[in-house]
Amino acid sequence: MRGRVFGRVVAPLILLVAAAFFILPLFAMMRFALQNVQVIDLRWSNLFDKWSLAPLWSAFSDDQFGRALTLSLKLAIGTGLISLLLLVPTIVWVHLRLPRARSTVEFLTILPYVIPAIGMVAGIMVIKPHARWFLNSDLSLIPFYVVLALPFTFRSIDSGLKALDLRTLVEASRSLGYGWIRTIVHVIVPNLRTAILSCLFLTVAVVLGEYTIADVLLKRTFPAFMGEYRGSDPKGGYGLAILSLVVTTLIFMIIGLVSRPKSARRRRARGTT
Amino acid sequence: MALIFTNPPGEGGAVARATAPFTSQRSRSWLGLVPFLAFLVLFLIVPAISVFSQALRGANGEFGFASMGEAFSGQNLDAFWFSITFSAGAAAVGTILGTLLAYVAASITRPRWLRNAVTAFSGVAANMGGLPLAFAFLSLLGRQGLGTKLLNGVGIDLYAGDFGLGEVTGLVTVYSYFNIPLMVLVILPAIDGLKPAWREACSSLGGNSSTYWRRVGLPVLAPSILGGFILLFANSFSAYATAAQLTDNSKIVPLRIGFFLGGDVSVGEDAVGYALAAWMIVIMAVAMILYWALRRRAERWQS
Repeated sequence: MRGRVFGRVVAPLILLVAAAFFILPLFAMMRFALQNVQVIDLRWSNLFDKWSLAPLWSAFSDDQFGRALTLSLKLAIGTGLISLLLLVPTIVWVHLRLPRARSTVEFLTILPYVIPAIGMVAGIMVIKPHARWFLNSDLSLIPFYVVLALPFTFRSIDSGLKALDLRTLVEASRSLGYGWIRTIVHVIVPNLRTAILSCLFLTVAVVLGEYTIADVLLKRTFPAFMGEYRGSDPKGGYGLAILSLVVTTLIFMIIGLVSRPKSARRRRARGTT
Repeated sequence: MALIFTNPPGEGGAVARATAPFTSQRSRSWLGLVPFLAFLVLFLIVPAISVFSQALRGANGEFGFASMGEAFSGQNLDAFWFSITFSAGAAAVGTILGTLLAYVAASITRPRWLRNAVTAFSGVAANMGGLPLAFAFLSLLGRQGLGTKLLNGVGIDLYAGDFGLGEVTGLVTVYSYFNIPLMVLVILPAIDGLKPAWREACSSLGGNSSTYWRRVGLPVLAPSILGGFILLFANSFSAYATAAQLTDNSKIVPLRIGFFLGGDVSVGEDAVGYALAAWMIVIMAVAMILYWALRRRAERWQS
């Protein structure tokens, strides 16, 4: 009986309260950004009046916006490519030659939790006087973002490789005359498409979300612009935040979608061979 | 931003894959890791060591613990105390509510999509952080916030007491937004690992529901719950971006580090900033080692 009360009453209640807690802040932010009514004047009757995207357009037309977005896009592309160049060969190597090192490598990839962004940027500030030629460039953020994204990117590539019969693929490719580089480029990469896509999307999410390092180093990335723009135009700043949330959420949803059908496909393929 | 390390979608479990026999090439095999290790050393280990090299330096550049001591006394100690208090509070709230929510999600059988929806949403919300999260709560629970007004309507004055988004109560509320779903992701596999057979065995041996939870359920879940608590603590303790937008309260350790790094502090004082960062890395290291050990222990029951 107690189980039934829990299932019928308590459980739905908990879910409802949780849903309210998670949805209300987002709704409040959207309302603040996109509804042109002050909270003081807000009534149930005018809750749906005067919504408009105008604050977003004015944020877009700020001359710093384009530059910040371009920089963040460049950082995302650079971070994604370098992550792949670094991780794909390393993890392939670990799976083939050093399976016992896998947990060590995995442990190394969680080091960014031990040294959080604020600790990392403190270290960068120490190095800065000795490496201005490098750190003065905005793109010098890329390797640090690669490190910050490691816990995510490592896992996406690692689980992609786990699902392959890597040894057979590599042996077949090698015995047909391919060298290591061509094996990776022409055999492994095409089989890792989903994992590589997840890896790239995750780096985009990390770059779009990273604020700490950019803020301390005074780099004008998109999140840094968002924080600064809020000072002069709160509605526009909040609108940009909604936009980046939507993009990040879409990214996580796409990753969820592309990785699910693949396992189903694989199961089917295994069944037939 | 809040970082998690749970399995990405599509990954089955941590099953060790075919272990190839080690040959005499073993020592040369390690060379394949050199680029990766070099990258990590250059862009993570060197900055970390630099923090300690500055933190362990006295006024005249000699080795010493003066800065480390200063970073743990006076106003700095207050900051650590404040940060540890709200992080522990946020971790406790997240652990309890996250476990509860995960238990509810695990027990849902109908409608079937609901459980998947909870997990998928948790994956997104656990990674929510930074500016958007701060903005969302500013517009809900700020002085002119929508929620503040709604509460006023039912006679509750949120700001009558010492509530503030930059104070313990506010930070615990805001951080719960990513802590609760993170806990769901951490604890759900453990709850799924509770085998129905154990409950049956318990009841056929004469135990009731409370015996089951006291003697079987909670002991099996304990490492995951404790591990989750530590992870949530570390997550809250190191968050910078959200806190920076909610308040300029320099009682929060990451903000204080940022203040020392960016501010025009005198030459001797910047060492204190590095010492704060060094302490933070030490605390995070202890937390992550504990988490790693507990996770290993928790995985024993999840197959």
